[in-house]
Amino acid sequence: MLARSRRHAVVPFAVFTALVCGLIAGSVRAEESAEDVRFYEQKIRPLLVRHCYECHSEEAGEQQGGLLLDRRSGWIEGGETDKAVVPGQPDASLLVTAIRYDDDNLQMPPDQRLDDEAIALFEQWVQRGAIGPADDMGETEFSRLGDQEYLFDQAAGHWAFQPVAPVTLPSSPSSRGEWGTNAIDRFVADSLAEVALAPSDPADPATLLRRLHHDLTGLPPTYDQITAFVEAAQIDRDAATRQWIDRLIASPEFGQHLGRLWLDVVRYGDTDNNYRPDTRTPHYHPFAFSYRDYVVRSLNDDKPFDQFLKEQMAADLMGFAPDAPEMAALGFYASGPYSSRAQAEALDDWIDVTTRGLMGITAACARCHDHKFEPVPTADYYSLRGVFAAAARVNPLDETKQPILASYRPTPAEVADYQKKRATIDAKIDGADGKKAKNNNRSIAQKIRETELAELLTFHPGAPARAMVLADRKRPPESYVFIRGDASARGEAVPRRFLKILDPQQDAFPQDSSGRLELAEKIASAGNPLTARVFVNRVWGHLIGSHLVTTPSDFGLQGSRPTHPELLDWLADDFLRHDWSVKHLVRRIVSSQTYQQSSRSHEAGQAADPENRWLWRGNRKHLSIEAIRDSMLLVAGQLDRRIGGHPGRLWDGDYTRRRAIYGFINRFNLDPTLRAFDFPAPVQTQPARGESIVAPQALFTMNAPLVIDQAAAIVSSADFLRIKHDRPKLVSLFQSVLGRDPDAAEIARALKLVEFQKRFQNPDRPPSRFIDSPWPLIAQALLMCNEFQYVD
Amino acid sequence: MKNLHDQVQQEYARLQTRKHFLKNCSMGLAGIWLGGRSIAAGLSDAGAATQPDSHDDSHALPHFAPRAKRVIFLHMAGSPSQLELFDYKPALQQLDGQDCPASFLEGKRFAFIQGVPKMLGPQYPFRQCGDSGAWVSDRMPHFQSVVDEVCFVKSMHTSQFNHGPAQLLLHTGNQNLGSASFGAWTMYGLGSESENLPGFIVLVSGGKTPSAGKSVWGSGFLPSVYQGVQCRSKGDPVLYLSNPDSVSMQQRRRALDAINRINQQTFNETGDPEILTRISQYEMAFRMQTHAAEAFDLQQEDKATHALYGTEPGKESFGNNCLLARRLAERGVRFIQLFHWGWDSHGAAESEALNGGFKTRCEEVDRPIAALLNDLRQRGLLEDTLVVWGGEFGRTPMRENRGGREMKFVGRDHNPGAFTMWMAGGGIKPGISYGETDEIGYEAIVDKVSPHDLHATLQHLLGIDHKRLTYMHQGLPQRLSNVTQPSRVVKEIMA
Repeated sequence: MLARSRRHAVVPFAVFTALVCGLIAGSVRAEESAEDVRFYEQKIRPLLVRHCYECHSEEAGEQQGGLLLDRRSGWIEGGETDKAVVPGQPDASLLVTAIRYDDDNLQMPPDQRLDDEAIALFEQWVQRGAIGPADDMGETEFSRLGDQEYLFDQAAGHWAFQPVAPVTLPSSPSSRGEWGTNAIDRFVADSLAEVALAPSDPADPATLLRRLHHDLTGLPPTYDQITAFVEAAQIDRDAATRQWIDRLIASPEFGQHLGRLWLDVVRYGDTDNNYRPDTRTPHYHPFAFSYRDYVVRSLNDDKPFDQFLKEQMAADLMGFAPDAPEMAALGFYASGPYSSRAQAEALDDWIDVTTRGLMGITAACARCHDHKFEPVPTADYYSLRGVFAAAARVNPLDETKQPILASYRPTPAEVADYQKKRATIDAKIDGADGKKAKNNNRSIAQKIRETELAELLTFHPGAPARAMVLADRKRPPESYVFIRGDASARGEAVPRRFLKILDPQQDAFPQDSSGRLELAEKIASAGNPLTARVFVNRVWGHLIGSHLVTTPSDFGLQGSRPTHPELLDWLADDFLRHDWSVKHLVRRIVSSQTYQQSSRSHEAGQAADPENRWLWRGNRKHLSIEAIRDSMLLVAGQLDRRIGGHPGRLWDGDYTRRRAIYGFINRFNLDPTLRAFDFPAPVQTQPARGESIVAPQALFTMNAPLVIDQAAAIVSSADFLRIKHDRPKLVSLFQSVLGRDPDAAEIARALKLVEFQKRFQNPDRPPSRFIDSPWPLIAQALLMCNEFQYVD
Repeated sequence: MKNLHDQVQQEYARLQTRKHFLKNCSMGLAGIWLGGRSIAAGLSDAGAATQPDSHDDSHALPHFAPRAKRVIFLHMAGSPSQLELFDYKPALQQLDGQDCPASFLEGKRFAFIQGVPKMLGPQYPFRQCGDSGAWVSDRMPHFQSVVDEVCFVKSMHTSQFNHGPAQLLLHTGNQNLGSASFGAWTMYGLGSESENLPGFIVLVSGGKTPSAGKSVWGSGFLPSVYQGVQCRSKGDPVLYLSNPDSVSMQQRRRALDAINRINQQTFNETGDPEILTRISQYEMAFRMQTHAAEAFDLQQEDKATHALYGTEPGKESFGNNCLLARRLAERGVRFIQLFHWGWDSHGAAESEALNGGFKTRCEEVDRPIAALLNDLRQRGLLEDTLVVWGGEFGRTPMRENRGGREMKFVGRDHNPGAFTMWMAGGGIKPGISYGETDEIGYEAIVDKVSPHDLHATLQHLLGIDHKRLTYMHQGLPQRLSNVTQPSRVVKEIMA
């Protein structure tokens, strides 16, 4: 394939600008004879159109190998390999070599060699100077794809690459009535005024409390909590709201809920993305949970976000004791989806999660060539790769190299049971010493370690927690550009250093270190224009239900522009000023009237801004699968609120009653129910969850044993059983499931349903999951309705 | 529910402005619920919601007149030996038992072969069949009778020599996890035709899911509505399809009516059209409870059909899955993917030896495949159903010598350099063979076809220009044929 060197290396920038203006193209044309142009138009262009344009023209949207054959500059400057044509010298022209099929590795067009006559015409054309079309399009937006000089020029003015600076608040809040006490509201009100819309009224207290509970903890409030809040709000709404927000942010559920957002970003899982064919088991990461617990704990402790990032990237280089709880942070890399056997992919994954996950820049795209759309030369990719290639990983099952974390404290009974089981497995391993499997010669002892022992370590609550760590090699290896991503085609050596777009000097990191800590400091820095903006936008989207930048992991030239650029910057600046406090950021957002608006729609708003981009109302939000599951367990009185520890099964067999964040995530075979509910595949960093509505979701709420069990539990509580009559039973169900009293019409309708379902009672039927009563179905109906699964 | 249905229709238009619909819905609401043109406000990196431009091309789907409406993909997981089935190599017979020449081993990586292996001639006799004179071994006696329907591609090759990555490459265009499967792309591009069944159904037999796991029918970076739904041929065909033991359909109906009324009230109060979609989601699930059970009920087929396929209702078998594939195709399912495990004929154990389990595997698939092709043709379905058969790579012309020793059973190692696939129906030129391997079937040498070429070609038959059906992810407009790899439409195999 013809492939190119960088176009700007051939055409200096000033010349390039002139080309755009058509000056040079014009002068070139003047020298050409009309006859040459006619030759091109009559003989050559038809051949190019028929045989080459499919892969090398703007019309087809393709410039494979970086080569365009629909303009003179295309073949003169050539593609990634070299110039395609040397005017006057057919034998020195790659294009001619390619169409002659002289070189086994360079044969174009790939389907079939052209006939000799056509080849002769091309030779003749090159001999005559490879004159171009009469209407040469010169440089176009399309032909500049991948032109790094051009992209850097574009990037110079790009909003997301500008430093985060203090923003002046819009003035005169008084004209907007009550709005404007929280800075967020001034920005939002300003934008609304521009589209002639007004903000909505505040949500009623019961709705607001449910919203706060779900957004801050992932669980609904109880009927009693709602009642208490509504009463308090009648006296002083603002004070009651403030108090309640503080209480929820201080609750341990805060980190469990917001932590899940972070786990989506860091593609968290309890296995890698492969499995062992002979034992049919996944490659367990038995200690990944210590990283998940670190995330939850850090958010609950309000660890400054810059420190949080640095620890995840480089805790091993920050002077912590080997068994310090912070060492678990390294699971960010160490518990990734690729095993050390797939080193190239593992490094690619680390580059991707670091750049796209933390900074919203798609640097992993520069693995094979300079980024086509962003200011990321391929050298940048290999600079980062050098940093990560210096880290040695530990086998996830290796207990000798992963320190025990004293912070995890199972009960003595759990430990005793673990030790008993462990001793049995250890004995089995000893007994298998030296034996090999018949069919593939693998050590039996190793197989037991990978299956029985790995499962015990992963799931048993008495098993210890260990930190999945990294350690830098003594001497960091040199990093080279791999040409077109091919490890066997080494290009120039590149120093370990930061991205050029964010660090134009690109000073190399110290020779004797991997540079991972230095990289962490460049990213977790107030001077980095992306880090704070990207995170603030993620949290905003999590709480508000729509993002300011709708491409949360792409803040580059291709990303969306923020709907409220000043607000985003103000939030980022405010976040930095408050020492990267995540709790402050969350409090700031949920305290705003923007957040607290009613989600009710109205015609004017619907007509002017149906997507609610300008936030004239609150967004109705569908609960995540985790929140649906946890809420069901909660209203059924079944939720086990313990924090941290080993993962459990979410809904299979003897499922755990703990929160869904403690569910076992098998990357290789992601649970079908999770998948049906838009849980992101944890093999790449996830910008945001999709929102699909599909029948398997309905089947889950209709028939999954977990749901049936919760419906049964709701109506077998002692409180419920004490109630004698249907009507108060119904009221009790509405209160416990939906947190409110039913109205008269609802009671009437529900009573009809009760009567109908009673007809199916049959005392002779064997008892089953659904006890012989209409009530579980009624309770389930409430769990299935929209009101339960949405937040207003 | 008529009134409700009208309301759903009415609100659909409004919803489109609020949520991003990935596809125009030419068939009304049919597709909303299961795969296809579903609500999927997925935020891709490039913000599908705000950059509809990146999808402009796909809005014009199909890009050209489709030759096939649906696909039945028969994946022989583990990779059957082309040298014992379709790629007849008399020259290899001559070399049987000789040391493998060093030139064949230079620069090669094998999964298990060590040192100098022996060459291994075809283990079964071949004969020319049908009017087309295709060479087929005696392991496929029934298939021999349908070769004139089929186009063989003997020059398939891949870059991967381990099962997992090779299967991912064959189904998603990328050897790593995270890309969307062919079926998911098809749903994304063309949507569903069925109101009552998922549009992309996966059936697995042979006692094992594919090495690459469920990702081979996953949606990768595409919204999850497009992923395949794995169904089972015994028990509940779909996860959570059955009501709890003591609940009848009548009770369920009433309960759903009640829920719909509660939701309707919420809709009246909030005006949020998404609520109506949720209502229809329950309706769809309810219909599916009836229709999926019906579609998967093989008892409905007559004796003659069972004799044709060699099937027994209630068993899990490849044959049952073939018959199910035909029933699903009749019911408008767009993409039907079958996996049959057990073709990894290394020869390390009898169950996976060319002179052992391989024979059983052939018997398991031979009759049902011939029956499926005949059945589809008789029902007029073959002309717009694209049937694809193959493994993820080929097998070596050398005998496997695990540990450097001759093994008790006969087998061959993995060979990414050459394998055979065949296609039939929907726009495929029948009765031809395309591409060639070298004299011993080791490397594809003439008219080579990569998985990317295959994807480009199959999408073409479905009316999709593989370069124009794209989705922004990780800063690139991704496509099935893999934007970073060369690919071409193999026009020569099209009718």
